[in-house]
Formats: sequence, C-alpha cells, structure tokens
Amino acid sequence: MQVYVLVWIGLLCIVGAEVLLAYAHLRTGVLLAGLLALALVEAGAGLLFFMHLKYERAKLAWWLIPVLLFVFLLMDHLWPDAFRLAALRGP
Amino acid sequence: MAESVLTAHPAGEESPFGIQSKKLAIWLFIAADSATFGAILFAYGFLRVGAADWTRPFAFFPSILNGIVMTVVLLTSSLTMLAAVAAAQRGDTAKTVRWMGITALLGATFAALHLREWFNMFHEGWSPSKNPLGGSAQFGATFFGVTGLHLLHVTCGVLAILVIALLVRRGKLTAGHVETTGLYWHFVDLVWMFVFPLVYLMNAR
Repeated sequence: MQVYVLVWIGLLCIVGAEVLLAYAHLRTGVLLAGLLALALVEAGAGLLFFMHLKYERAKLAWWLIPVLLFVFLLMDHLWPDAFRLAALRGP
Repeated sequence: MAESVLTAHPAGEESPFGIQSKKLAIWLFIAADSATFGAILFAYGFLRVGAADWTRPFAFFPSILNGIVMTVVLLTSSLTMLAAVAAAQRGDTAKTVRWMGITALLGATFAALHLREWFNMFHEGWSPSKNPLGGSAQFGATFFGVTGLHLLHVTCGVLAILVIALLVRRGKLTAGHVETTGLYWHFVDLVWMFVFPLVYLMNAR
C-alpha cells in the first residue's frame, strides 16, 4: 500500500499544479498543452500502479494502448474543420 | 494466478495475457469506453475551437474549488478501492467489505457534489441548450454531456461496488471479482483526470 499512497500523493500534487497552471494567464494553446501533458502523466501513473498494468504481462499493454492511440489519432481528422470555422469568424 | 487461468480455460490452454477472462473482459470494456470518452471530449474540443463566443463561466469559488474537492474525493476513493483489493487478496472479507463501503461512500459524495453543482447551474439559467451569460449555447450541451456521461459511470460504479461487496460478504465472490470492479473504478477516476482540466480548468475565469 505504501507505493499506492505515494502515487496518490503524487496525483494530488499534479492536480495542484494543474490549478496553478490554469491561473498562470497562459495563452489558450499553451495552457491546453500543459494541462494535457499533466493529465497524461496522471493517466500513466493510474494505469501502471492503480490498475496494475505495470505488474501484468507487457503483451496486454502492447495490445491495448497502440490500438487506442490509433483511434484517437483518427479522431484528429476533425481539427482542420474546427480551425476553418474559427478562421471564418475572423480576427 | 495459475488456478484462475485453468478455471478460465478448462481445456488447459493458457490465456494469452495470463489473466482471468473477466479481467480481460473489463480491459476490453475500458478500451472501448476510453474511445467513447475520447470521442465526446474531441467533440467538445471541436465545438470550443469553432465557436465564436465560447463562455468561460467558472469562478474559483464555488466551481473550481468544488471541482478540486471532487477530484480529491475521487482520487481517495481509488486508494480505498486498492485497500479493498489488497484485503480481498489476503482473504480478509470483513476489511474488503469495509473498504468497498468507504469507496462507495466516497463515490456517492462525488456524485452528490456534482449534482449540487448542476442544480446551482440550473438555478442560474444554464441548461444543455441555454447559456444565461449570452455566449455560445454549445457550452451547456458539451458541459452537461461530458460530465453527465462521467456521472453515469460513477453512479453505475457505486451500485456495482455495493452489489459486489454484498456478494463478497456472503462468500459468493472472490478477490478476482473485487479486482475487476476496482479496474472499472480506477478507469472512472482516470477519465476525471481529463474531464477536470479540460472542462473545468480550461473554462476558469
């Protein structure tokens, strides 16, 4: 349980960092990148330790995660249209 | 683990991932559900980037502070779920049931905080199709859509934990069932790790 408590404390610290980042008056794109990076670190820690992926056969992670990343990659096809809409409204 | 693998495959064929069938099933569900949450978060991003007058309605008090408390409650519930799994693996039924009860209580607290926030927003004139601040009405649609889907998962999780705890107490289920339930609960927690920054912090005033 000691490892889990340490991970839990680490996750709470990351949440604190996210809140500080939100009030650091950053540009929207920079804020989004920072928050996403921190959320990915949290998700990684949760997957590895809380969900025990670290202790399972590596094959399980290799089978699940690349497929999921591919799905998210396919979803990225919508961004050009979102930016087109943003450009239409002008500066 | 060897016993469970044999149970899952009576013909003696080993599971390709060395885990029980129910655990593999919950991993498959988690992968599929991740895509669902991914899709709804991408839709939120699309609408946000494309909207001319996106609203940032969340003041630090009460909305962001409420979100922080909800996040701490949910993260803590993951820790108590891990304690339940550890107790189940030791064969300590009383502690397993107790930790699962605490986890369900924390989950219910999260849901209650969430609903309180929703009702406050309804009272201010927000709805999935209305924005009382005059900006894009799509904010309400995406906010209630994303958080509503997550709240549905939390509610199902709390009910599942209570049912599994009851059956563990009666001796009808094993540590494997508790672990599988825990995987679902941690997944719900992980999804919130994306919802809180993207939906709350990105819309903080």
